Amino acid sequence: MPKSRQALLVKRKNLSSWLLSLPTMLWLLLFFLIPYLIVIIYSFLSPDIYDVKFEFSLDAYRQIFSGDYLRPFLLSFKLAIYTTLLCLILGFPVAYYIARASEKLKNTLLIFIIIPFWTNLIIRIFSWRIFLSYKGVMNDVLLKLGLIHAPLEVMRTDLAVILVMVYVYLPYMILPLYSVLEKLDFTLLNAAMDLGANEVKAFFRITLPLAVEGIFAGTLLVFIPALGAYLIPQLVGNQSSLYIGQVITYKIKNIPRNWPMASALSLTLLFLVALLLLLMYALYRRRLAHRYKS
Amino acid sequence: MEDIVLKNLSKDFGTFRAVDDVNLTIKSGELFSFLGPSGCGKTTLLRMIAGFEVPTTGRVYLGNKDLSDLPPYKREVNTIFQNYSLFPHMTVYDNVAFGLRVKKTAKAEIKDLVKEMLNLVKMEDQANKYPNQISGGQKQRIAIARALINKPKVLLLDEPLAALDLKLRQHMLIELMNIHDAVGITFIYVTHDQGEAMSISDRLAVMNQGKIAQEGPPDDIYERPTSIFSAYFIGETNLISGEVKELHEDHLKLSCQDGEGKTFEIDSSFQLAPEAGAHLTLSLRPEKIAISRNKPRSQHDINILKGQIEDILYLGSHTQYIVRVGKLKFRVFSQHKRVYFDDKALDWEEQVWLFWHYTDTWIINDNPFDVLADAELDENGNLKRYIKRSKT
Repeated sequence: MPKSRQALLVKRKNLSSWLLSLPTMLWLLLFFLIPYLIVIIYSFLSPDIYDVKFEFSLDAYRQIFSGDYLRPFLLSFKLAIYTTLLCLILGFPVAYYIARASEKLKNTLLIFIIIPFWTNLIIRIFSWRIFLSYKGVMNDVLLKLGLIHAPLEVMRTDLAVILVMVYVYLPYMILPLYSVLEKLDFTLLNAAMDLGANEVKAFFRITLPLAVEGIFAGTLLVFIPALGAYLIPQLVGNQSSLYIGQVITYKIKNIPRNWPMASALSLTLLFLVALLLLLMYALYRRRLAHRYKS
Repeated sequence: MEDIVLKNLSKDFGTFRAVDDVNLTIKSGELFSFLGPSGCGKTTLLRMIAGFEVPTTGRVYLGNKDLSDLPPYKREVNTIFQNYSLFPHMTVYDNVAFGLRVKKTAKAEIKDLVKEMLNLVKMEDQANKYPNQISGGQKQRIAIARALINKPKVLLLDEPLAALDLKLRQHMLIELMNIHDAVGITFIYVTHDQGEAMSISDRLAVMNQGKIAQEGPPDDIYERPTSIFSAYFIGETNLISGEVKELHEDHLKLSCQDGEGKTFEIDSSFQLAPEAGAHLTLSLRPEKIAISRNKPRSQHDINILKGQIEDILYLGSHTQYIVRVGKLKFRVFSQHKRVYFDDKALDWEEQVWLFWHYTDTWIINDNPFDVLADAELDENGNLKRYIKRSKT
C-alpha cells in the first residue's frame, strides 16, 4: 500500500513539473526550434531576387567551402580573439581589486561596472562615434595637449571596432571573474609566499588556476557575441573590412537577396561556435574532473 | 645557534595595539608556544615572524640575521595555517612539491624528497588525491609535509589543531611532538588551548593584551604563576588575600578575613621575603586541597580550614566542590579513589574540612612587576575582569 502511494506521489510531482515547464517549451518550440528548422531548410534552397525558389541546391555550401567567405570569417575570429584577450587582460586586475575591496566599497564598485547597462547600447556606440571622430573630443584633447599635430583617423577603422567592442563587453568579463575571485581564499596566497613563491609566481600558480572557471565563463560571454558582432562594426567600422555578421545581413538586405547564402553562413557560424564550445567544455572538464570527483 | 629573537616588537592596527613591546628569545630546536585568549596578539606575533605583517616598531632576528624587512618568501621560516590552506587545484603530491618547484629544484630530487616527506607524515599512499578527498587530520599532515620539505629553520604553527575533533587532536599532538623530535628544528606553536600548550611545549609564553604575561616551562607557569592572569588562564585556582603576621625562616603566617568578620590564619612558603604587614595574594590550586568530613590530625605543616559544601560538580575523572568559608569560596578538586578519607560521599550543605600542605600555596603579588594585583573577582572568586594594566 504505502509503496504504491509513494509511486503515485512521485508521478504527480513529475506531472506538475512537466505542466509548469510546458509554456516555456511551447514558446521555445514556436520561436526557436521551428525558425531554426526553416533556416536549415532555406540553406538548401535556391535564391530568387526577393525570396527563395523551392529547388534543392548545395550552391551556398559549395561557395562557403570553396573559401569565398574566408575573409569575413577570419576577420570575425580575429576580432573575437582580440576582444576576449583584451577584456581578460584589462578585466582581471579590476575584478581582483573589487574582490579584495572592503564590503562597502565592493558594492559601490560593482554598481559602477553595471551602470553602463542602464544606457541603450546604440546610444553608447553613437557616443563613441562622437568621441572618436575626426573632429571629435579625443582629437580635440590630444591636439590641445600638443601630443599630436594632426587629428588621428580612428573612426571607421578596425581599431575603432576593437575599442568599442572591448568597452561594451568588458563588464561581461569582469563579473564572472569577480565571482570566482571573490570566493578565492586569499590565505592560499599567503601559503604560497610562505613556501617561497614571490608575488608573480603566486599569481600564476595559485590565483590564475583557481580563477579558471571565471575565465572560461567570461570568455564564453565575450567570445561568442563578439564572433557574431554586427552592430558595432556597422556603426564604427570600415565597409572595406566586413565581418561575418555584416555579410549575413547584407545577403538579406541587399537586392537581389540571397536567403540560402545567409542561412548557410549563419549555420556555418553556429557550427563553428558549437565546435569551439565543445572543445572548451572538454578542456574545462579535464581540468576540473578530478578536483570534484569526490 | 639560530635562535629567534624578538626585540621591542610592537604592532599597531590603527589605534589598536595588537602586540606591545615584546622581547623574547626562542632557542634553536625548542618547541615554544604562545598561549592566550583570542585577541591577545599571539597570531599577529606569529605573522610578524612569518613576514605577513610588518612590525610597527622592533625587529625580528633569526640568529644574527635581521628578518624584519624580508618578504615571507625570503625567510627560512614556514607556516602551518589554521585552516591548512592546501592548494585545492593540486594533488597531495603537487602540494608537497610546491616549495621545491618554485625554487626550481631538479625533478628527480623533488620526487625523492616528496616521498621522504610523505613517509614522515605517513601519507605515502595518498599522493594522488586532492585536498577535498582527504580528512582533516590528513590535511594537517600534508600541510606539515609541505612546510618541512623546504627545510626551514623554524616552523610556525597557527592553531594547527583547532579544526580537528578532540580525539584526533590528542593524536595529532603526539604526532607533532614526534615530528619535532625527528626534524629537530624550532617549532613555534600558537594556541588558545592550555592543554595543548602545556603538553607539547618545552617552554611557553602566556600572552594578554599584546604583552607576555609570563614565560617559562609549563610546570613553572602552572605551579609558580607570576600574575593572576597566568594563574587563571592556565588551570583554575583559588586566590587568598591576607596580611603578613609573622615571618619565619621557611614560611610566613598570613592573616585572612573570611568576609563575615572572622579571621583565620594560614601558613605559606614564600619565594622572596615580604615585609611584615604587607598585603599578599596567594594562589592555591584546587587539586592541592584535600577535603573530608573528618577533621585531620593537626600537623604543623598543614593548613586546616572548616567550611560548608555549597556545590558539587561531578566531572568524571574528579569532582569539583565549591566550599564556603565565611564569604570566601574555595574550589576543590577531588579524585574518586577507594582509599579515601570518607566512607560515604560528601553531600550538599555538609560541614567539611579543607587541608593542604603549606608549600602548596604560591605568592603571586610579591612580584613588583605584577600588573594584575587589582584584578576584579566576582562573588564566587572567579575573575571578573582579567586585567587593569598599571604603568610601571
